[in-house]
Parts: sequence; structure tokens; C-alpha cells
Amino acid sequence: MILTGPEIAESAADGRVAISPFRPDQVNPNSYNVRLGPTLLSYRDEIVDAYRPNPTETIELPEEGYVLRPDRLYLGHTEERIGSDIYVPLLFGRSSVGRLGLFVEITAPIGDIGFHGQWTLMLSPVQPLRVYPGMKIGQIMFFVSSGEIDLYEGKYQSAAGPQASRYWRDRVAVAS
Amino acid sequence: MILTRKAIRKALAGGDIVIDPFEPERLSPNAYDWRLGDTMRVFDEELDAARSTPFTELVLPPEGLVLEPGRLYLGVTYERTHSERYAQMINGDHTIGGLGIWVHVSAPLGHVGHAINWTLEIRVARPVRVYPRMTFGKIVFLVAHGPLASYQSDGVKYTSTAGIDISRLYEELA
Repeated sequence: MILTGPEIAESAADGRVAISPFRPDQVNPNSYNVRLGPTLLSYRDEIVDAYRPNPTETIELPEEGYVLRPDRLYLGHTEERIGSDIYVPLLFGRSSVGRLGLFVEITAPIGDIGFHGQWTLMLSPVQPLRVYPGMKIGQIMFFVSSGEIDLYEGKYQSAAGPQASRYWRDRVAVAS
Repeated sequence: MILTRKAIRKALAGGDIVIDPFEPERLSPNAYDWRLGDTMRVFDEELDAARSTPFTELVLPPEGLVLEPGRLYLGVTYERTHSERYAQMINGDHTIGGLGIWVHVSAPLGHVGHAINWTLEIRVARPVRVYPRMTFGKIVFLVAHGPLASYQSDGVKYTSTAGIDISRLYEELA
């Protein structure tokens, strides 16, 4: 079951869902609009290696906007800290943003119960696109879960700002 | 919770879901198998979230149109769907995914109250020929939890789209 907008607003008020900052005008009938934070990361090397930490460069978005290029992957973040210890969050782009050809997540919309932090966005445009800090870029929705809850304790807990892939950490853990 | 074929059929009969045109054989075990419409829009310039971008409209000929990688194609579903009770999610099907076609760009949700021919955000991994009114994907219906709000009553963008809608994000950023 997917939470309705009024249920999301009520959950944000009584703590079943944590959204900070929370603005009532960003509530939709079944989701909450999230904003693009000011910082992007982009991998520096031409080839990204799944088994190694990859060097990144930091881009601060200027007020006049910044043009994203189709041949690059940008890791952005939500302005909001979001999480729930009860509901399963799913983060997608907004249709207005999809219509501009911008992927906001790549094949990983589902979050974990118990994760709290700024969500990393995986920004990849189909054609060059100018984006702006603070623009409403995505939508988070919440699903009722079934079964006993076991909270997230993973490697991205309490994320602040965009997080580069830490697949390599799992690799090290498995190898040792 | 996702509605099954029988539940969708029941909701159609009771008016809680509208699919127009509706073909009973397009109901699959937990979805409706929708079709690609007849037109697409393409953009020749750099896009800007804060501006309306000029576009070219293409009509899909019966012999099909080859979509190229590196371009964004805004398409439309042949069907209009509406529910004031259930949320909707649109996706491609395995056959379309197997051809390397994305049917939306990370925005699958239709809110409760959406009454639309869905605008599709199509992108391809390699050149592929597509045809008007071919089966293109699945729409699922989700049970909502909590008091309902309707997309219609919010008076927001795209409430009653009958064709392709380009992004109107610039209205927010103006």
C-alpha cells in the first residue's frame, strides 16, 4: 500500500516519517517533492572501477544553473534529510524532470527502512540540460511494509551530501 | 499492494478505474498492457529546466520510426487512464526492455486522481524501430493507505493531458 499525501503529512507531524525541512506545499496526492541540494560529485576518471574507490570532483551549483552533460554521471543529493523506521521509501524523478530527459535515480529507487539522511541522486541527462540548486527534482513515496522490522545499519547511514559508490568496501570485506 | 487482473476488472466495472479505450485481452495477471500512441516530440536544442524548449512533432508512420540513442523522445500512451481511488505506476514490459528501450525517465508514478494519456520519456540503448499502437508496457494499480487527496483538486500541472506534454517546470522556476 502506498501512502496518500495527507497520510505523509500526518506521518511527518507524528514522526512515523522524518522529512527535514518539511514544507506542506511539497506534498502531492501520493508523494513528497524533494529539492536538489547545492553540491554534485562527478567521477574524474574516464573508466569507473566497481572494485576500487574512484576519484571525484566536487561541483557547487551556481544560482544561474549548471549544464549537465549526457556523457557524464553526476551524483547529487536531496536538500532534505529523509527517512522512516516504519515505511519503505521509494525515490523517483518528477515527471516534469523526466520530460527534460533527466534520470534522477538509476535502477535503484527503493530505500531501506531505518535509513535517515540526504538521499544521493544519480543524475544522468539524455540531452544537455541546465539545472538549478533548490529546484524540485524528485518525488519520494512511502509503502506500508509487511512483517517484523529490522532497521538499516548500512554504509550510507546518516549521509550528508552526495555519496560516491562504496561498492569497493563490500569487495574488501568479502576478500578479507 | 498491487491489484490483480480480477481486481482491476472489478474496479473497472465499479468505475474506480477508467481505461479508454479498454480491451479486455490487454489485462495481464497484475497489470494493463498499454499501447504506444501515434506521435512523438523531439528537442533540437540544449534543454533548460527554467525555460520552455521548442520541439518538433513527429507522426509515427505505419512502417515505423527508428529511434536513435542520445535523443529524448516524448511519446504518449494510446490509452487514457484515471483513478480517484488507486495510485498508478507505468513501466515498459520485458519485451520492450529487451529491445533496449526505456519508456520513462525515472518518473513512473501516477498520483491518485491522474486522468491522462501518459507522456512517455523514451530513450534507447541502440537504434530500434518502433510502430504506432504497438504494445509498449504495463500500468499497475496500487492500493492507497490514508485519507485520499486527488491530483485533480490540487489544480496542478498536467491534470487532464490528452496528448504529449512537454515539461512545464519553467512555470515553477520563473
